[in-house]
Amino acid sequence: MTEPRPPASDPWIRPDGIAKATGQARYTADLAFPGLAHAKLLLAGRAHARIVRLDTSRAAALPGVLAILTQADVPDRRYGSFDLVLDRTLFARDVVRYEGEVVAAVAALSPEAAAGAVAAIEVEYEDLPAVLDVEAALAPSSPLVHPEIEAYRHDPNIAPVANQASRSTIVKGDATAALARAPIVVRERYVADMAHPVPIEPHTVTADWSGDRVTIWSSTQVPFYARSKVAETLQIPEHRVRVVVSHLGGGFGGKCDFHFESHLAALSRATRRPVRLVLTRREEFIAPDKVTHAMVVDLATGVAEDGTILARTARILLDCGAYASDTPTLGQIAAMMIAGPYRIPDVDIEAICVYTNRTPSGSVRAPTGPQACWAVEQHHDAVAARVGLDPVAFRRRNLVRDGDEGPTRQRHEGDGAIDTLERAVAAIQAAGPLAAGEAIGIASGWWFSMPAASGAYVRIESDGSGRIVTGAQENGTGAVMALPILAAQVLAMRPEDFAITYQDTDAGPYDGGSSGSQTTFNNGRAVLEAATDLRRQLLDLAAIALEASVDDLELRDGHAGVVGSPDRRVSIATLASSAQDGALLLARGSGLPPQGPEHDASMCVGRLGFEAFAAPTFFCHAARVRVDPATGVARATKVVAATDVGRVLNPTGALGQLTGGVVMALGNATLEGTRYGDDGLQRNASLLDYKLLTSADAPEIEAIFVEHPAANGGPYGSKGVGEPPIVATAGAVANAIAAATGVRVRRLPMTAERVWRAVTTGDDGSAERNAPFGPVTAGAAR
Amino acid sequence: MTEHFAAPTTLDAALALLAADPAARAVAGGTDLVVAARQGRRPLPPSIVAIDRIPELAGAGIDADGSLVLGALVSHAWIASDAAIARSWTALADASAIVGSPATRATGTLGGNLMNASPAAETTAPLVVLDGTVSLRGPAGSERAIAVADLATGPGRTAARAGELLGSVRIPAPASRSGSAYIRLEYRRAMEIAVVGAAVAVTLTSDGAGIAAARVALTAVAPTVVRAPAAEAELTGTVVGWAAFHAAGGAAAASAQPIDDVRASADYRRAMIAVVVARAAAAAIERAAGRPLAVPASRWAPAVDH
Repeated sequence: MTEPRPPASDPWIRPDGIAKATGQARYTADLAFPGLAHAKLLLAGRAHARIVRLDTSRAAALPGVLAILTQADVPDRRYGSFDLVLDRTLFARDVVRYEGEVVAAVAALSPEAAAGAVAAIEVEYEDLPAVLDVEAALAPSSPLVHPEIEAYRHDPNIAPVANQASRSTIVKGDATAALARAPIVVRERYVADMAHPVPIEPHTVTADWSGDRVTIWSSTQVPFYARSKVAETLQIPEHRVRVVVSHLGGGFGGKCDFHFESHLAALSRATRRPVRLVLTRREEFIAPDKVTHAMVVDLATGVAEDGTILARTARILLDCGAYASDTPTLGQIAAMMIAGPYRIPDVDIEAICVYTNRTPSGSVRAPTGPQACWAVEQHHDAVAARVGLDPVAFRRRNLVRDGDEGPTRQRHEGDGAIDTLERAVAAIQAAGPLAAGEAIGIASGWWFSMPAASGAYVRIESDGSGRIVTGAQENGTGAVMALPILAAQVLAMRPEDFAITYQDTDAGPYDGGSSGSQTTFNNGRAVLEAATDLRRQLLDLAAIALEASVDDLELRDGHAGVVGSPDRRVSIATLASSAQDGALLLARGSGLPPQGPEHDASMCVGRLGFEAFAAPTFFCHAARVRVDPATGVARATKVVAATDVGRVLNPTGALGQLTGGVVMALGNATLEGTRYGDDGLQRNASLLDYKLLTSADAPEIEAIFVEHPAANGGPYGSKGVGEPPIVATAGAVANAIAAATGVRVRRLPMTAERVWRAVTTGDDGSAERNAPFGPVTAGAAR
Repeated sequence: MTEHFAAPTTLDAALALLAADPAARAVAGGTDLVVAARQGRRPLPPSIVAIDRIPELAGAGIDADGSLVLGALVSHAWIASDAAIARSWTALADASAIVGSPATRATGTLGGNLMNASPAAETTAPLVVLDGTVSLRGPAGSERAIAVADLATGPGRTAARAGELLGSVRIPAPASRSGSAYIRLEYRRAMEIAVVGAAVAVTLTSDGAGIAAARVALTAVAPTVVRAPAAEAELTGTVVGWAAFHAAGGAAAASAQPIDDVRASADYRRAMIAVVVARAAAAAIERAAGRPLAVPASRWAPAVDH
């Protein structure tokens, strides 16, 4: 793939940028509707309990209350994310399994009336033993989150049993035997707390039922998926459901999947009014089933005396919370991340997704990646220290190079892993002498691209301007906003010549939504295919207009012309005008997704599609961190993020992804993390006590792009760029903290108190009680 | 829900409104009242008297005797940017510079911060060590002064009587060879709330080698901001140096009764009291000795303190 990269104006000003920066952009909660009713959800407020009595009659009689719905009012069927485990219903049926479980939904004439009605609903609970510890949950004696799990439908590749939603392995060779032969084996445990995506805009849904159709304005990242789940759960055909997304105020994966669209559609049908739900910040923390996984990682790595990795075994316990959501798939990804972009001859890694009575986990930006990379990259530094190698030399010895074999024998392309290591290390070392208490840490990693079906239409209007109609969803990354750059290059037009229609399931063709770093990768391919078709249509018209052979024509500077004859040309506007009298300039694109790499997963179980990583992005982050040993406060002073993205298509957009990813990751590294009480309830479900990194804390961030185009990549050999930037930063910070203090913190986030405790007592935090650990049966004593 | 809202433009009018309606609450910047309502912690009061348009409460200046007088409506941002405060009442500048976010500092007022009576209020401990007093204005022209140290009586509770408004804060001119600092333990640099904080004011002996007088106050370790007499005793009459600073920190930590909560464990809080007291003492000494130490002192990383 040696084609030139598409031209992007520099700096690129995204089409939605001015409206967002000036406050003109309308988000879902800003939309006005005549006769609007206001929704409020009754959430369980307890970790695990049986509903003994549920009586809405008194609440329904309150003034201004229009409707109160429970599971009795919707089709009584179980569903599950991607049909992995069909373990949940829209409303609690008999049992609530986490504090944010929806018990009832109210529609009323005012938000206050809705809140009053929720408070007036009478529910009598019988508390059940809460499952709050992922290790105890796997014991045969443990209470069960889903006693009827054997009866649930599920993906044929997994076998849910007891509190185990799924088990996936990545296996190559015989790692147990290889470990037994290895001269040095390092065994460690790393534990990560749950964290949140925290979009600034909370989940917001307005539904309006009209005739036999419902229109749902939702702050979703995945409108087509949400539409399919509305159709499934309410038992109506997909074409009667329209999902529209206004501007989205951030998602970070938290708005993937399907949340409250069906609840609101049902409320609208019952009230014959548009009904709107806006989650409060507290509800945003506890209710949506999209938090990062609390995780326990037990690692064993065998190495030769010279530091060459010989074998690895690992067990990963993922706290998937009360419902499986998409965690079974993500467990397999976690296993691939623990293998990493390293040459390891024998690998045996298992990932177990464990039900607990907590808010369900799911596909938050690079799901499982940051925690897994943080664990394994600290482990690599520990192994390096054991054999007397510095962290850079250890990685030079073991990172994959072009042609090397992956954990399921996929063949790696390019030296992205090594090149990003060298570039990141050189840049961080060039940043000047270290201050007292300051040290450097590095972490390398990889992440997949996600080939998938996706569609777009491109058309030229009568005046020669263009329009892209796409199913893709813009979640703020700029990926959809940048589609005109791709179309413009093919059609010799300017990006600003194109308007974009997007985020409406009635308009654009299918797309998987803003997830999996897939928008540019897949919808970019669709737009390119449509634009290429349009280019042929334009040249056909030009051939007639210029009385020339199509083979002699080219598009340049908004014109079609004869190659080598600058005077014989016709503008695209002229061609577009003439097309109004005949065949319209109208094209569609989707294109077959590129093939994934050849691999051998015959020894793996729980295979859900991530046995190999397609067109993997490689990266190395290097962090300078200053630790205050008296307080334990660790502050990054500089982060270098070197990333092999295959091909940079839009420098401004790619830089934004890297910068934002590092900032988000720094918060994950030292500040965030949910604190759980013994009752299984979140203790810091607010922005005051769930601390995100602020702009005042952001260090200097240097982004370095390395380009090794992928043969089976996205447009021009590009790879996904949305998720990778968040993966390696916490590991780099962790290794810097260890280098600065001489002690290792094996609990994420590495809060000031945990660093202080490690420095003053040597306690690495891995046994601290908090999710994924907890009392075995908090509810049993009641 | 708020059903009555008034925005008087004179102090007398505001006091009359407050006297007429016992349920009324005064609001200036609204950074506590509105946020608490939004978070569902405390609904907005049924009646609000907005005092933000009253010029009599907005002034700031230095009296003939050298005292600093700040009206209740003076914003944190203004305090943090004032050169005289940074020079002579530096602990207050340290505190005002780190309240909330730039938006909070532009909107939030000194009077509101004091009357909200949070044990984590940033400006209280500096005003306590700087010996500040507040003027409480009441109906029918009443006026009384009480020490800032005596204003808060518990979380959200003050010694102000029904119908009284905080009019202004008076802080005496500092003695020569004196300095002050406020240091808060910060997990992050904006939108932070004190896990622990300490303000220290010191006066050096004439040769500059000893501590003639010291006051220490602690933030977020008790139901109100509290003095730490044991720490003051460790500093007063001793030779300047980290031995004294650490002794003061240790004494403050030993006398405090910190709690376990979601922000920190009690043992971490106790250890951090020692750190912030020692550092605030060191920073106050630096300033008393005429050596520059930038506001806010919380960002200061001492070369040797452990």
